[in-house]
Amino acid sequence: DGLKSLENFMKTAHSGRADFTQIVTAPPKDGQAQRPKQSSGSFAFQRPGRFKFVYQKPFEQTIVADGQTLWLYDVDLNQVTQRAQAQALGSTPAALLASAPDMAALRADYALEAAPEQDGLQWVQATPKARDGQLKSVRVGFEGDKLAALDILDSFGQRSQIRFTGMQLNPALPAGSFQFKPPAGADLLKP
Amino acid sequence: CAQPPRPASGAADHWSGRLALQIEDASAQSFSAGFELQGSPDAGALTLFNPLGNIIAELQWTPGRAILNNGGEQRQSASLQTLVQALTGSELPIAALFGWLKGEPVQAAGWQADLSALDKGRLTATRHQPAPQAVLRVILSL
Repeated sequence: DGLKSLENFMKTAHSGRADFTQIVTAPPKDGQAQRPKQSSGSFAFQRPGRFKFVYQKPFEQTIVADGQTLWLYDVDLNQVTQRAQAQALGSTPAALLASAPDMAALRADYALEAAPEQDGLQWVQATPKARDGQLKSVRVGFEGDKLAALDILDSFGQRSQIRFTGMQLNPALPAGSFQFKPPAGADLLKP
Repeated sequence: CAQPPRPASGAADHWSGRLALQIEDASAQSFSAGFELQGSPDAGALTLFNPLGNIIAELQWTPGRAILNNGGEQRQSASLQTLVQALTGSELPIAALFGWLKGEPVQAAGWQADLSALDKGRLTATRHQPAPQAVLRVILSL
């Protein structure tokens, strides 16, 4: 079931790489359904604490967590935002699943239970323990032991569905895959 | 003057994209987020998103009443500016922003807007007073 897949994924996947597409559907506004927004790019991770989202569409944006610092580079704005990883995006589901060292670390932030199979994937329901958190519910989908999908509902009622394709577990990642050096001339923000 | 981009979904006025506010020599107060802005200076809504697409906060206002919801708690105020300051850490000229995005050179005390690249979905506004200088950059998703 989903929990077994999650446990195997956490135990066996020390690193990984995949392409992703993300569909974000905002809550209906005065009864009117909102147009879903789609984005896509590539995702990589290495335990503990390192991950990287490279968005290519609809605009170029790179998010890199090097273990201490979270870097966000917005190409159009030519701007790099640097934050301590712990309190920034570090706790988002994708980041947590990819960079948490083990199940115990996951259980610290989420109550985990198996959920019914759907769309050919095994699912885990992860309910955030943080009371005032931004997220209402997170569902994690597996294809065997490979992370395949995330379905996130935030406390505003916005739904974000991420689908990973071509997931390779424990690939040979080039050295420095999770290092980030701000490009020359880019503005550096440290909010 | 530059022909402003058609509002995203044809609804009243609705823009979405990314905005960044950089405060000179105090980059700790700088701010950047994805956004959706709709309605008008009198009655509208500003939604802010983090880079992964999650909503950070929603600010809604009608004449004399503004509500800031950041997912955890909700704050109300008679002044939209008070909540804009609470949300972004700075005074953002929301009323002027509506005009600028439509290509109208609206005056905002202390601010100077550059609408020349609006047809490419880019707007830059600089706050000369009060110090420190701040630069607001907006990139619209066309």
